[in-house]
Amino acid sequence: MARLTLERVSFWYPAMGRPALRDVSLAAAPGEVIALVGNVGAGASTLLLVAADLAPRVVGGKIEGRVNFRGRGKGEGGRGIVLPTPWTQLSGMAFTVWDEVAFGPANLGWPRERIAGAVDRSLAALDIGALAARDPATLSGGELQRVVIAGIIAMEPALLLLDEPTAELDPEGAGLVWRLVRALAGDGCSIVVATSDLDALPEVADRVVWMEDGVVRRIGAPALLAEESVCEAGLATTVADVWRTARLGAPYPLTVAQAERRWRQ
Amino acid sequence: MTGGRLHPFTLLAIAGTLPALAWILPAPAGGAVTTAVALVLTLTPGASPGLAGTGSSPGWRPGLVVLRTAVLTAAPFWLFLLLLHDVPSTIAIGLRLTTMIASVVWVGALLPPGRLVEAMVAAGWGVTAAYLFAAALSAVPLLKARAQRIVDAQRCRGLSPRGGLGRRLRALRALALPLVLSVLHEVDERALALETRGFVPGARRTPLAPPRDATAERVGRWLLLVGCAAALAWRLAWRG
Amino acid sequence: MAAVNAELRFEHVSFSYGTVPALRDVSFSLAPGERAALLGRNGAGKSTVLRLVTGLVHPAEGTVSVGDWDTRGRAPESLARRVGSVFQHADQQLFARSLRDDVAFGPRALGLAAAEIARRVDTALAALELTAHAAEHPYDLPPAFRKLAALAGALALEPAVLVLDEPTAGLDRPLRARVARALADSAAAGVVVLVATHDLAFAAEVLERSLVLDRGRVAWDAPLAALLTSSERLAPLGLAPPAGAALSAALDLPGRPVRERDVAHALARVAAARGPV
Repeated sequence: MARLTLERVSFWYPAMGRPALRDVSLAAAPGEVIALVGNVGAGASTLLLVAADLAPRVVGGKIEGRVNFRGRGKGEGGRGIVLPTPWTQLSGMAFTVWDEVAFGPANLGWPRERIAGAVDRSLAALDIGALAARDPATLSGGELQRVVIAGIIAMEPALLLLDEPTAELDPEGAGLVWRLVRALAGDGCSIVVATSDLDALPEVADRVVWMEDGVVRRIGAPALLAEESVCEAGLATTVADVWRTARLGAPYPLTVAQAERRWRQ
Repeated sequence: MTGGRLHPFTLLAIAGTLPALAWILPAPAGGAVTTAVALVLTLTPGASPGLAGTGSSPGWRPGLVVLRTAVLTAAPFWLFLLLLHDVPSTIAIGLRLTTMIASVVWVGALLPPGRLVEAMVAAGWGVTAAYLFAAALSAVPLLKARAQRIVDAQRCRGLSPRGGLGRRLRALRALALPLVLSVLHEVDERALALETRGFVPGARRTPLAPPRDATAERVGRWLLLVGCAAALAWRLAWRG
Repeated sequence: MAAVNAELRFEHVSFSYGTVPALRDVSFSLAPGERAALLGRNGAGKSTVLRLVTGLVHPAEGTVSVGDWDTRGRAPESLARRVGSVFQHADQQLFARSLRDDVAFGPRALGLAAAEIARRVDTALAALELTAHAAEHPYDLPPAFRKLAALAGALALEPAVLVLDEPTAGLDRPLRARVARALADSAAAGVVVLVATHDLAFAAEVLERSLVLDRGRVAWDAPLAALLTSSERLAPLGLAPPAGAALSAALDLPGRPVRERDVAHALARVAAARGPV
């Protein structure tokens, strides 16, 4: 009963000869957190746009293969995507952060009490209650990113797609977002997140998808972030990298805690 | 009177009536009166911080910032007119343009885009049409902030705002091009972001805080419309 | 490589935005070739410090000097001869038809000869490994590459002081490594490098000194390594030790190295002494 299924999907951006995605297959279950890792141009952002039903519908281009999405239970909850640059995602129609976060739910036509509840919960989840009355145009990059994320989760999506959600955040903010991702997954939301914050993934992701040049090279548990080929590609966790550079045998530990356990044996 | 309390449609009606009258009534007296009214309006308290806030130079009292913006925006037009026309024509056209500019600036300062969209949605307008209006109004503070960042960045690369005409034109290019390019480049992403937040044609949006529309205001708007029509009729009759 | 080597000095600098104080009695100095991380919470004054160095604002009290130049008497376009800077959203400042042209903007504005401009541009592009993209239009490249191009533009000024605001935000690991290498090379040539950042993993790789601001005052001015291995000092800043330093502390490696390469070497040495792991 997968929430999102991609079956052998290939996608070409308009007027591009080379496909941005080639023969990609992926399934996300309810309550699962899937992390997409890869270098710039690997296709992670494109995969998220396809999963969000924005490509090719809004973006244009050509697609082959099947994309299937089932909402929660009685079809409740849609798909929400948080794009990488926060300042392009402001509605331009909200004078306060509260109204900005309420923008999405209001467009869904919810009754006002439901909107208010969802907005207050989202503001609390991103710890931006203090910013509720501020003008979004005056916020810093980190604050903006939290507001944008709040705006999407206020819509209570069944599938949440995140493209570099911690790029503008300081470590405290990043920690908050990762904990939120786990909490949302606990509530049954499916989450697919593209990120270069590899060290956070062992605690956050249920599965990791390694992408390169539009192709899925490996899918597996976070332990794959310590595999030899992944290390070579520069996509391993810091601890795994250091262990490997020190030429201490495989399998390399993923986290400081794992390294400590190995060391004390 | 705080302009912010008036219904958005009333603000738009006033901002539309003044330029209309400026063009209908005989110049230069008609234009002079409407310009005076428009400029006095810019002094109304309640202007939104977006336009009047950060960036205003310290010498001006906050209440005068909107007036200053209107005057500075209109000034270049007077210069162009002087180059092209004789003095009486310049005054006639200049007053009309100034009325238009002052009205637009006044509305932009007083009307948060969100309120306008709420009013339009509550009145039954489609979501896309409402957005066109709102985006135009809200673009100004965002563009101002970005323009300032670009000016700072180029100055830190050695761009000097002083110098001869050739130099200044090149400087303008280094400031205008990045602004335009970066905004155009983002248009696609902005469209995607709006789509994902449910802002699509046909969406039935819940108004969060629809502005109150007092009967007096509705009557007032009709009177303005009638007044313009009467002025037009009188002008045509007087001409003929 | 740098045209002039100069010291960056803040002497009892105070600054307020209107009535809101941003910096209070800030003093520090960075010698040529020093690489410092400017740390602190949002609102602590980091951006203000960087703006003061570039001359975009001038101190209300105290002096900011770049070598023998007092910033008070100079506009940013004049200080550009000695100060190279990259602020946030730098990817929005690009406008030329090619990367090469845009990087050349700074040297051209300084009025240099064509041959010198070409040399500086080529060197700067090579420093960030952008030579392959030199002829492309900035907006045909992803934003991450535009950020690198903005940094190349600052390097092309061959400044004595380089100030950067969150240069690694939005960059993946290989690109962060490129920035680290370019900064290390600049510092080796005598450039003062001051980076406001909360990317401690990046800071650990390339920066050596830490300046911590707290509510407008300098709360800490000491080697970065000492700060990175101390969770107690980092926690109030909303920061945590980067993975390399954390590993170093957890395994109690001798010397508590913080750079990944150094941690790996220390690890290998201790492991060899202990026997197989």
